[in-house]
Amino acid sequence: MDLISDQGLRVDGRRAGELRRIRCKLGVYDQPDGSAYLEQGHTKVLAAVYGPHQIRGSRTKALQDSVVINCQYSMATFSTGERKKRPRGDRRSTEMTMLLKQAVSAVIKAELYPRSQIDVFLEVLQADGGNYCACVNAATLALIDAGIPLREYVVACTASLANGKVPLVDISHLEETMGGPNLTVAALPLSGQIAVMEMSQRFHIDHLEEVTQLALQGCRDIYKILDKAVKEHLLETGDFFPQLESN
Amino acid sequence: MAHSIRLASERVDFSVPSDKAPPQLFTPGMVISQESGFMRGHGTYGEDDSIKASVAGIVDRVNKLVVIKPLKSRYNGEIGDVVVGRITEVQQKRWKVDTNARLDATLFLYSVNLPGGELRRRSVEDEQMMRKYLTEGDLISAEVQNINSDGSLSLHTRSLKNIKYGKLGQGMLIKVFPSLIKRQKTHFHNLPCGASIILGNNGFIWISPVINAEEEHGGFTINLEDAVPKSVREVMVRLRNSINALAASKILLFDTSIQYAYDQSKKYSVVELLNPEVMLDVAVMTQHQLQMLE
Amino acid sequence: MLTSKTFLRKTKKGNILKIVREHYLREDIWCGSKVCSECCAKTDDQVLDENPTIACTKHNYGHYLVLDTNVVLDQIDVLEEDVLKNVIILQTVIDEVKHRSSTIYKRLKDVIGDGRRKFYVFVNEHHQDTYIEREQGESINDRNDRAIRTAALWYQKHLKAFPTQKDKRKGIKVILLTDDRKNREEAIKSGLIASSVEDYVEQLTDAKGIGDKLSKRNFTSDISEKDATYPSHLTPAQIHDGIKNGQLIQGSFQASRENYLEGQVNTEKFEKPILVQGRAGLNRAIDGDTVAVELLPEAEWTAPSDIVLQDDETADPEELNEKENLIKEVKVVEKRPTGKIVGIVRRKWRQYCGILQANPMVGSVRNIFVPADRKIPKIRIETRQYELLVSQRIIVAIDSWPRTSRYPLGHFVRALGKIGDKETENEVLLLEHDVPHSKFSDLVLSFLPKMPWIITPEDLKQRVDLRGIDICSVDPPGCTDIDDALHCRPLENGNYEVGVHIADVSHFIRPGTALDNEAASRATTVYLVDKRIDMVPELLSSNLCSLRGNEERFAFSCVWEITKDAKIIHTKFHKSVICSKAAMTYEEAQNIIDDKSQNHSIAVSLRGLNSLAKILKRRRIENGALVLASPEIRFQVDSETHDPIDVEAKKMRETNSMVEEFMLLANISVAEKILQEFPECALLRRHPVPPLPNFDPLIKAGRNQGFEIDVSSGKALADSLDRAHKSDNPYFNTMLRILATRCMMQAVYFASGMLQQEEFFHYGLAAPIYTHFTSPIRRYADIIVHRLLAACIGADKTYGDLLNKQKTQECCHNLNYRNRMAQYAGRASVALHTHLFFRNKIQDEEGYVLFVRKNALQILIPKYGLEGTLYLVPATGQPTANFVYNEEDQSQRCGNIVFHAFDPVTVQLSLDRSNVQHEKLVLKMVKPFIKDFSVPSVQANTGDAVASDDKMDLDVPQTLPEVETPSKRKESETETAQSKKSKKKKKSKN
Repeated sequence: MDLISDQGLRVDGRRAGELRRIRCKLGVYDQPDGSAYLEQGHTKVLAAVYGPHQIRGSRTKALQDSVVINCQYSMATFSTGERKKRPRGDRRSTEMTMLLKQAVSAVIKAELYPRSQIDVFLEVLQADGGNYCACVNAATLALIDAGIPLREYVVACTASLANGKVPLVDISHLEETMGGPNLTVAALPLSGQIAVMEMSQRFHIDHLEEVTQLALQGCRDIYKILDKAVKEHLLETGDFFPQLESN
Repeated sequence: MAHSIRLASERVDFSVPSDKAPPQLFTPGMVISQESGFMRGHGTYGEDDSIKASVAGIVDRVNKLVVIKPLKSRYNGEIGDVVVGRITEVQQKRWKVDTNARLDATLFLYSVNLPGGELRRRSVEDEQMMRKYLTEGDLISAEVQNINSDGSLSLHTRSLKNIKYGKLGQGMLIKVFPSLIKRQKTHFHNLPCGASIILGNNGFIWISPVINAEEEHGGFTINLEDAVPKSVREVMVRLRNSINALAASKILLFDTSIQYAYDQSKKYSVVELLNPEVMLDVAVMTQHQLQMLE
Repeated sequence: MLTSKTFLRKTKKGNILKIVREHYLREDIWCGSKVCSECCAKTDDQVLDENPTIACTKHNYGHYLVLDTNVVLDQIDVLEEDVLKNVIILQTVIDEVKHRSSTIYKRLKDVIGDGRRKFYVFVNEHHQDTYIEREQGESINDRNDRAIRTAALWYQKHLKAFPTQKDKRKGIKVILLTDDRKNREEAIKSGLIASSVEDYVEQLTDAKGIGDKLSKRNFTSDISEKDATYPSHLTPAQIHDGIKNGQLIQGSFQASRENYLEGQVNTEKFEKPILVQGRAGLNRAIDGDTVAVELLPEAEWTAPSDIVLQDDETADPEELNEKENLIKEVKVVEKRPTGKIVGIVRRKWRQYCGILQANPMVGSVRNIFVPADRKIPKIRIETRQYELLVSQRIIVAIDSWPRTSRYPLGHFVRALGKIGDKETENEVLLLEHDVPHSKFSDLVLSFLPKMPWIITPEDLKQRVDLRGIDICSVDPPGCTDIDDALHCRPLENGNYEVGVHIADVSHFIRPGTALDNEAASRATTVYLVDKRIDMVPELLSSNLCSLRGNEERFAFSCVWEITKDAKIIHTKFHKSVICSKAAMTYEEAQNIIDDKSQNHSIAVSLRGLNSLAKILKRRRIENGALVLASPEIRFQVDSETHDPIDVEAKKMRETNSMVEEFMLLANISVAEKILQEFPECALLRRHPVPPLPNFDPLIKAGRNQGFEIDVSSGKALADSLDRAHKSDNPYFNTMLRILATRCMMQAVYFASGMLQQEEFFHYGLAAPIYTHFTSPIRRYADIIVHRLLAACIGADKTYGDLLNKQKTQECCHNLNYRNRMAQYAGRASVALHTHLFFRNKIQDEEGYVLFVRKNALQILIPKYGLEGTLYLVPATGQPTANFVYNEEDQSQRCGNIVFHAFDPVTVQLSLDRSNVQHEKLVLKMVKPFIKDFSVPSVQANTGDAVASDDKMDLDVPQTLPEVETPSKRKESETETAQSKKSKKKKKSKN
């Protein structure tokens, strides 16, 4: 099967530079300080942020000048086609956790909260490609919901190369398995900085630039969608703000 | 009550209609001002000669100070605030108290009125007795005495006049965002409906039966023997549900708004108040009543 | 812009999975018609005419065609006709076609890609108005049919809004072509115009002969058992179950060339192929098909017959003698698993070249087609153009093979030209061997350098300037694509500096260009006797890349420092500019070496090279490299008519071997270098060690002559071949080597990352690692190797596909396939010219018996490099002489004359032209003389050779097994210059 047809359509009907449908919601839970739910195509994730709060457990973990960021990535056992044995702790989840921490650390203004801790929990409810991206995007929303100061959004997007020449953005699970190298980028879309970059296989240097650019463009597109959702969420909470002003 | 399960698509939008123009919103990374000469307040940071937002919310300019107020965040204490907190740890000469701030607050032994009078010396025995007074999990009401260099709070429970700080007995705790609590002269209220309420600035709200007797034991004994009558409990629960209704719709909480909400809720049973549509109705009616007041 | 819809799919993967995939429906899919003003497609995408005209008696209004899947699958030959234009191809159809047949999919894509044909692809599956969900209880086929109708209806509605000038206010119509009656009825019910392809095509007024191309798919299923010639096939479900529970075995069917009623099925389950015999056993399988076989009980197992049997013209429905022809008493040892084919898993039908069988019935439309490939059965076709086509080579496609028909049913595709015409025959053999031979497209040519081509100072900066060094090239006479040149000069420390300079083709062919893609697809230059089919356009092959004498050229140089006893001190690679001082032939070079009076630099250089080469060769042979042999001939071609005038065997000179040695050295050096740098994706060449059973015929033949052939290792084999000499038969050793050649495996290209290091071994050369570097003008593999090497030394950049081992491996598959085909084509060309050569001749020639068969002798005639079967028992009538076959020592006896393998004979060669359609070389025994069998020699008798029954079919390429075959030897053993170049010179005669 071709990743992209002669008519320029991908297997699911998107064009090369089009994202999947993204739907998201902030503040889905009361218990955590911040939470968000995000769908990217059929990839569905929940994010919950606790903190900043006193460091739990061993006090030696505390940093004198910065906050401790604790991430946890897990995939629900029912999230994949074949039922998973355990939701976390496997090699891939551990790696994901590490990369997630790297991405959110890039934007959290950690210096504001010395000796505190922020917990970011992510749960993949349905996996259909780009799990990491969906997690990063949901984590950003949850952090914003929690009112934690961020440098800016951190947004992640995947890109791949179809038939060795056409770059594709936002890779679905089907496209992931159908081959082609896969590039994941977590970026700060406003300043254009890259927080995390990961490749599933080697890219040739000739293609890397254009694929990276496309992934960054994807990040910017996702940023617009997320930003809109954040603003809508703020407005949805009624005239709370005007009251504040009158306060 | 039967379980009520509903689809996400049927979720009730808790926003209360407003006739005010939507405010300008800022999200992290957005430039607030390119001009120099502003002071950067909370929720902002400077980069490349411009001030940028670091949280999502609205801008608040006080003279040269620019602040972005987020919808919700952890409690940032100020001296004099009334807080409700929970003891998390007992240490040497002090307790650690969770006050919904980013660090646990400290309650020093010497900031506590011990039984036996104001000027009692704190002895080694007292230190050994600390757990007797307050132990992990106990709830207290207190006042912010000081903000330490690392941002943590110091509390005291020395009651003044009619304000009663100290250990909390029978009642219930509600957690809301700290920003929903309206700052007022007093945060202790005996509501006409027949319950007492402490609106902690940190977003913790304590509802209890009305306390009338002036007791002289520094607030370390609690009476768990007396059963609270059912009628009082119903009042408390109705109060709780009303406050939750207001909080869901982001309506500021203070004695009047709570009282109005309580009154509006009268037409529903206590159980019905858990119903999202009913909660919204209560909030809308309260909002309406508040606007009439203005 | 995006709307989303999900659909469910269930697949079986052990347990049932529910797969949910996104399916986006779009608003931005345009109708593709020029007439439309609503869709905002770019003009390039507006494919369909605003005034579609086609001369049609019934549908004489402007219309577009919509096809259903089966129309595309069955009638692709009709679709390829230029007369059909303005066709809408739906995504639904494309997907189904792709799923069902990749070859038809490819052809459909070609048609779509042809701008003149105005085929528009409408992605109805992603269009918001034409996507439909499968309904409850609806089969996928029904759903797809409905989708096609929905799309057609959409078009009809859509186009109504845009009236054309001609048909005022009516708009362009849409006609649905479908051969499915139910679908047609449904379509008409919903208000569409629908027609069957046959009806539609017959109404076309200016499309003559298109009717012949209609596929004759017969859908009648109710056949009484009595009529059926063949047992029925199992249903796909039965086959699937049968294979799953082990009752049936799946494998690919390989028809026998020698016996049309025999074949074998290669399976993974058995090491040996399963034998299938008889009409019912073969059960309509055609060479290449994937089939399901049922094993017969062991008692019924047999061995392959020793009989050569052809499907003769005499249509004999009874087939009484069929069983007789098959072997009856079989020795137990030789019994092989035997089975019968019970079903076809996948057909691998392609188009076949061939001729019409003479039809005595004048004006009959039903004809029989005889394919050129003997493995393919005859095909029944219908044509009204019999008179026209009977003298032509034609192409035919198979449509179906019903149980009642003795032969498969097919339809005429196109004619190639007159039988016997050399152009036509060349075309046939190129087509049959799948050699791409069309002219280079303009797009490809656009990537050629602009003339006049000059060397710029920048070029010089990046290259080592070797113009001052005395470099020369040694090639066959008249070679125009010179891709290697050499030099050798003594160094001060007493060592030699030896350089091999290879044409820098990769400088001109940049990766990813159309030129590169074309070269990659062609993979190799194909040398026919009178024609060369270039891999790269002539400007490169014969000019800019060719290292011609006294012209400045770019080269990729491999330079060694070598001691006097041929030890390599060090090797370096670099790109260079050279100026060859002399382009010599082998003969000229040999003369210079031999002429002691010449002492100029070239002569010194050549002598140095020659002495080193001798040492290198000796060392190589000591290491166990094989010296194999195959009959090699060269035609002397008439410069005007290109007809062969004379045949000569190729001569070998010292200089051939000299050039060869250095090419081998360069190849090995480069292979080591690129493997070191690119352990995963280096393109290498390996020659697998043949499995021991392969050597059985060789050992048997040797033993019969009293020689033990040791095949335990390459070295042992080489030594035992060297020892096997017979004083009374000087050709014996050569024949033994020919046999050895046939035991070999095929040498193949591969990507280093795909195999273990031990498997890199090159058996023929006894080299642990090998690649191709020295002939980039005529082999694509060398271009890749050049690029890899250039990347190693930093002279060039890498690119994605170069470093992708999967891509490299894919490329290797193509190279291997094309190489094999190129060799077959080359051999077929030799055979063709042999026929031409013997057209008006009868000649006596010396020959040797290569194999002894039950009813024939396999005879090799060294002078012509031919090998053919000589029937001892005539196919019909009474045997004239009584031959007795002795299986023990493989001999045939007639009276007191005994034929053994390797025995010399004299035979008379002539061409049987009695059958215009199939010329045959006929051979008669001259010596030894056997009464009633042999004929007197030509000198004594000019009689009617044609009448002879004992004819020999000359068909060199096809009688050879598909192992290491004569000209393959180049690659396996000598791997170089000499032989390939001998082919090149043929071009020179043009």
